[in-house]
Amino acid sequence: MVIRSLHNPRKTSQRGAITIQVLILLVPVIMGLIGFAFDLGRLYSARNDLKNAANSMAMAMAGQLIGTDASTGTAPLVGQLTIDNSGGLGNKYDFNGNVLGQDNGALTNTVGDPQFYSTLSDAIGSSNEGSGNTVSGSAAKYVRININGETPLVFWNFLSLVQNRRTLVQATAVAGVSAPLCTTCSIEPIALPAQDQTDLVDFGFVAGNVYTLAYLCTGNGTPAVLPGGGPVLRYALLNRLSTSSSIFAGETSQVLRMGADGLPPSTVQGDACFFLNTAEAIWATATPVTCINPSVNTTVQAFVCGLGLRFESTLQDVCTVIPESDSIATIYSQDADLSSVTDYTQYVGQGRRVITIPIVDSTADTAAMTVLGFRQFLVEPNQGAVTVAAADAASRFIVMYLGTVKPVRQGSFGGCSQTAGPGKVVLHR
Amino acid sequence: MRRCKGQSLLETALLLPFLLLFLVGTIELGKIVYTFFALQKALYSIARMAGTQQGINLCDSADPLLTSTINTVLTGTSAGDGPSLIQGMTATDVLVSVERYDPVSNSLGPCACSILGCDTSSGGAPPDFVVVSLVNGYTVSPVFPLFKVDPFQLRPQIRIPYGGT
Repeated sequence: MVIRSLHNPRKTSQRGAITIQVLILLVPVIMGLIGFAFDLGRLYSARNDLKNAANSMAMAMAGQLIGTDASTGTAPLVGQLTIDNSGGLGNKYDFNGNVLGQDNGALTNTVGDPQFYSTLSDAIGSSNEGSGNTVSGSAAKYVRININGETPLVFWNFLSLVQNRRTLVQATAVAGVSAPLCTTCSIEPIALPAQDQTDLVDFGFVAGNVYTLAYLCTGNGTPAVLPGGGPVLRYALLNRLSTSSSIFAGETSQVLRMGADGLPPSTVQGDACFFLNTAEAIWATATPVTCINPSVNTTVQAFVCGLGLRFESTLQDVCTVIPESDSIATIYSQDADLSSVTDYTQYVGQGRRVITIPIVDSTADTAAMTVLGFRQFLVEPNQGAVTVAAADAASRFIVMYLGTVKPVRQGSFGGCSQTAGPGKVVLHR
Repeated sequence: MRRCKGQSLLETALLLPFLLLFLVGTIELGKIVYTFFALQKALYSIARMAGTQQGINLCDSADPLLTSTINTVLTGTSAGDGPSLIQGMTATDVLVSVERYDPVSNSLGPCACSILGCDTSSGGAPPDFVVVSLVNGYTVSPVFPLFKVDPFQLRPQIRIPYGGT
């Protein structure tokens, strides 16, 4: 029609009609294209924001799943903090303008209740939702988060599909413990010999059983069982002396920190981690004591002093001689649950008392102890006491075997094949 | 016939500025949305990488590991040699802050960069959460013909738990 009018000079009445026609036809189309492009970009951006928020929340929650009944109560509280905007730093969406979990006036968003699962397949479920096999309490290993938020629209508002100039965008995240790690970092540098090397799940330890850990000793005799402590297992302090450390460089200072919170962070992986199927040597100055009437080994004692900082914020008297121990004691907080636990699922602490240690083939040759795996124990207070006894000559303390309940902070895969052992928090979806 | 041709030219001349305005507007809006999306992606990647590096000191903006992490995300090289994913953005534009979780009050607070806080170089314990944002935001200056639009800042940010993969 437009072309015809261009070639018909006699139709003078249509002069100027071309511009109007073109405007009438093109402007809505171009406006639509602009709106369409803007809407698509905005939806894509909002989905990215919601996905980031869901990922962050899921990972924060998964880190709290430590195999206790209280964990699924604590996890949502911690997850909620990722979107807590009281300090202005909470995760938001739609150009960082809409706070999640709050009514933003025109736009609404919903942070769904977290769903917990014991298996990954249940957690992943179908594309839109997990399976119906949700769990709570100690069985929870994986968490699934759904967040949706309304996003305003410009162009799509004119389509019948959309009402109220907005549409709902949804994001889902599943996080939980990973496969067993081959390299585990930030764990405690003591080794126990496997009780049964053919038992690849528990190495002969019995979940829920308590043991008295006593330091390696020489000569005849056996260290005495601590009251309420169960059979004696002899442990070795593995060498992780950092010669390059510029802070708390003293040997016993380093061990104190390791007892208080595991291997400290280091850019040298060999200082901060243990590797599966690798031979480890005993700490050079942590030589075994005599089994009968043992004398204190100050290096090992520093480790037990560190364990004590998981129960109380002040150092025991025998620990105050450790260089810079006062400064070190201020760094770490005590656990929330200091009681003697008989059923780990009833433990209500934040996991400070859970230690992850290498299980080795044998401690007979302290120059070459091959790491077979990593397992977790709960450190118990001595019977009738509120903490471990650092003054104990044999550096004994009581632990409960847990197996693998808590994700470790750092670690990596590759180079080994394992069916059991601690993992770390990963995003599964 | 000649009169009609002249009319077409005139009408085209009248219409062209509006078409250009719409076209440029589309491009500028798209650029803003894309830039924000890219910024948010980059900050998320930095937070995830920084939160999983062994031995990183998030309290020190000059920490070599932290700098190389940011450079890797922005340029693909740890030294920051390549062109930046986001035009004009460098490692110094990124602000990394750390937070500590208080289980008693169930709240997050800033983690001081000291031995009592999250300064791992002086012996402090690693943080519980990492927040990555931009020091002064990312300035965009959209160009709309016939309209004056003042430059403004995009301010994306992300909070991620420390640790994990």
